[in-house]
Amino acid sequence: MPLAAGLAGAAVVLSATHPARPGAPARVPPAATADAEDPPALGRAFYFTRAIYSSGFGGRRFASWRTDYPKADIQFLIGLRHLTVIDAYEREHPVRLDDPELRRYPFLYAVEVGYMALTDAEVRGLRDYLLAGGFLVVDDFWGTTEWRTFEREIRRVLPGRPIVEIPLDHPLLHAFYDIRELRQVPNVYLGRAGGRTWERDGFVPALLGIFDDDERLLVAINWNTDLGDAWEWAEDPFYPLPLANFAYQLGVNLIVYGMSH
Amino acid sequence: MGESVFALLFKYRPVLFQRGELAFSTPWPLVLLAAAGAVVAVVAYVRLRGGLPPRHRALLGALRLAALLVVLFALTRPTLVVPTVVPQQNFLGILIDDSRSMRIADRTGQPRGAFVADAFGDDGALRAALARQFQLRFFRFAGGTERVGRLEEIGFTGTETHVGQALDRVRQDLSAVPLAGIVLVTDGADHAGDALGESVHQLRAAGVPVYAVGVGEERIDRDIEIARVETPRTVLEGSSLVVEVLVTQTGYRGKTVRLDVEDAGRIVASQAVRLPADGEAATVRVQFTAAEAGVRRFQFRILPEAGERVTENNMREALVVVDERRNKILYFEGEPRFEVKFIRRAVAGDPNLQVVVFQRTAENKFLRLDVDHPEELAAGFPKTREELFGYRGVVLGSIEASYFTHDQLRMLAEFVRDRGGGLLVLGGRRALGEGGYAGTPLADAVPIELERLGDGAAGEFFQELRVELTPVGRLHPATQIAPTLDSSAARWARVPPLSSVNRVTGVKPGASTLLVGRNGGRSDASVVLAYQRYGRGRALAFPVQDSWLWQMHADVPLDDQTHETFWRQLLRWLVSYVPDPVTATTSADRVAPGAPVVLSAAVADSAYAGVNGAAVIARVVPPSGVEADVSLEWNVAEDGAYRGRFVAAEEGLHRVTVTARRGGTLLGSHTTFFEAGDPNTEYFGATMRRPALERVAEETGGRFYRAQDVAALPEDVRFTESGATVFERHDLWNMPIVLLLLMGLVTAEWSLRRARGLA
Repeated sequence: MPLAAGLAGAAVVLSATHPARPGAPARVPPAATADAEDPPALGRAFYFTRAIYSSGFGGRRFASWRTDYPKADIQFLIGLRHLTVIDAYEREHPVRLDDPELRRYPFLYAVEVGYMALTDAEVRGLRDYLLAGGFLVVDDFWGTTEWRTFEREIRRVLPGRPIVEIPLDHPLLHAFYDIRELRQVPNVYLGRAGGRTWERDGFVPALLGIFDDDERLLVAINWNTDLGDAWEWAEDPFYPLPLANFAYQLGVNLIVYGMSH
Repeated sequence: MGESVFALLFKYRPVLFQRGELAFSTPWPLVLLAAAGAVVAVVAYVRLRGGLPPRHRALLGALRLAALLVVLFALTRPTLVVPTVVPQQNFLGILIDDSRSMRIADRTGQPRGAFVADAFGDDGALRAALARQFQLRFFRFAGGTERVGRLEEIGFTGTETHVGQALDRVRQDLSAVPLAGIVLVTDGADHAGDALGESVHQLRAAGVPVYAVGVGEERIDRDIEIARVETPRTVLEGSSLVVEVLVTQTGYRGKTVRLDVEDAGRIVASQAVRLPADGEAATVRVQFTAAEAGVRRFQFRILPEAGERVTENNMREALVVVDERRNKILYFEGEPRFEVKFIRRAVAGDPNLQVVVFQRTAENKFLRLDVDHPEELAAGFPKTREELFGYRGVVLGSIEASYFTHDQLRMLAEFVRDRGGGLLVLGGRRALGEGGYAGTPLADAVPIELERLGDGAAGEFFQELRVELTPVGRLHPATQIAPTLDSSAARWARVPPLSSVNRVTGVKPGASTLLVGRNGGRSDASVVLAYQRYGRGRALAFPVQDSWLWQMHADVPLDDQTHETFWRQLLRWLVSYVPDPVTATTSADRVAPGAPVVLSAAVADSAYAGVNGAAVIARVVPPSGVEADVSLEWNVAEDGAYRGRFVAAEEGLHRVTVTARRGGTLLGSHTTFFEAGDPNTEYFGATMRRPALERVAEETGGRFYRAQDVAALPEDVRFTESGATVFERHDLWNMPIVLLLLMGLVTAEWSLRRARGLA
């Protein structure tokens, strides 16, 4: 199915539930209520699980795990269910890194990791999760300062493991869509403005990875790019459609790859 | 004892009555006179009055009549006419067991073979007695049979015993002379594996009785024996084997001994065995890993106990080909699921398994993983038998039946039934009954009952299952996830619960359940793993959807290998016995040098249809490397079946590579092995086999003797219709029983008359 058609379908669904207008903020529930959601339906093949983790507050007001939450998650799931045959749970699904239940969800998404400040329990939880077979995708952090923070934290989780570039011929980039180039996906404001796409000094988008001893990908790192905002605002006619498409394509590939490799 | 009492009463031994015919030689007038006397005597009682009740009169009359009948019998001069050999005009074949089991010392401390020297040596009483009547011809037999001039030539070194073959040989060798019978001296342990029936039938037709002398004890009082070892012929390298070992014993009941399994001198498994009651068998299951590729001789050994009479039967060997072949399995998954990721991860390091994944990711969009070449599965799920049958196993994930054409579903069933492939069906919202498989051509192959569910049934059902091992599963190789049976069972008790979205009501008749699952406190269990044989292949059902939790669950330690081991074991077992288009087998793992071994081959084309009229050559390579080609001939009774014989001239491991061609096209080749050497079978089942020997003797008109009762044999052999015979007449009127009977009857009558005041 052409991606554009899928996204159009997604937009139609969203327009019924989110009468968003350009520039309107996402309707995000208070973070405090996130843990109190109804328990998800059991037995589904896939849960888009968002990592709840501790952050410092040294920069942006909303620089925490809940950025773009839950609209980005729900909207991306609509696209994912439309574009693939994955039996994905339709709702957002946040889980704390130190929650043993995390191990039931082998795919994990984390944003704004440039402000991570993990507790020891979270470090242990994430390390065990990854070493057991979990797959972490990080997104939406920009520039060298945020990189340093993330690198510091992820080194606590996986000490000694190098962070390497994922080449364009890697199976991840061809698991569902054939992605031949990496594009920088801007936040909603820059996207609507139609000018620069970078933030801070994050000029070039990168897809990096941390592998285990058997060359299995444990962590996929989207640096200097913001897939989540593109998912969240895909229905916005002012957000650049090619970049939204790319964000969906990479997102789908990350999930199909993460469920098979 | 019984026979001597009989001879005391009846004057002659029972054998004369068995062989002879009764005749009478008294003139008729005398008989008539006696009969008239009897009538008068009885009438006298009948006419007697004097208050005697009729009952007593009848009894007295009967006693007197009986006494007169005994007299009448004697007066008729009864005679037993018995055919008897003419001295020195007949031959007697003496067939002596030359096998090693005759060296076994029985309770007396004397080896069984000592009887042969005692009875048939130069000073042997039995030999002397027989030689007075017959020309004796001695033969020895073990694996083969040959004439011997002197008893010293018999060294009891034979490694096999072929009783039937030996009887045939003696009958044929002595067919030109008057043969009075064959004396068979043996412990009766026949390892030929052939039925004795044909030999016995021939002897009976030729009128040659067999006098079987059973040497040895019918029960060895102190012995432990490994009676049988059941191993698969081929396993994949690194697979767990669960081998059944049958242990029998006498004299050590309740004792615990250790069964060791050795591979090239290294103990690979050890199991404590509590010995069963005398004469009973204990089945011991021992688990070990076939770690090294190649032909392995596994030795199963129980160390001899103090006082054990036969220690050679405490060890058995089994030849197992440990295969390092890579087995290609097609895993078709109808939707992205974490099962794919974790199954691939589990088997990633297994050199024997190649799991090719064909996964639907969107409608008409598929992901292919670990294919051998870019064209593989490029056109979708295989549409031809040749393509599908190239795999050794197929795993069906959450893929609905309607995805397949009717022919593809039939082909999948044929993949198991005809090709002998392994099929594993997993649970999932589009699988099994929820996937619409009930009533399809594949339904019969699946080991669980499939329900016909309406549209929209998927997604309605969910249950969490705590998995339990069944008694069958505890011993099954597919469910071994730790080094020993006990540790495996203990690990199963700790695995995290799984979930199922499939309603499973039960297994098919004939299917075995290896794992069950319980939902909360409910007493009824759901099937979690079941299998059945279907035609030539095997089919498994694993109707759960998230076995990856055995890897990911928070309760599972990071270094736990349960998930990996389970999937490797399961998939290895699924494809372990899957045949190639050409499959070679031998009639035995181990044969004695000089004995023939039957080489068989099953030849099929790439669609696994039997091929007749192919050129099939077996190349046999003995240890010396001097190859020999044996042409295998098609057996018209069966499509694709070929057979030939080979006689091993040298000892050691023989490699047999069968190659089949049709019209110059190679259909395939397959290699198997057999060993030529001491089969070491003589010490197994080493008790004297009385029932078998009795049957041979009875059916041929001969008789069975224990070694200690053999004194009667020379006389018995005389009374035969075989060979040159005359008829001997033996009077019966003067048998002690006649006098005793007469006296008894007369005394009884007199006593009764006296009691009634008549005397």
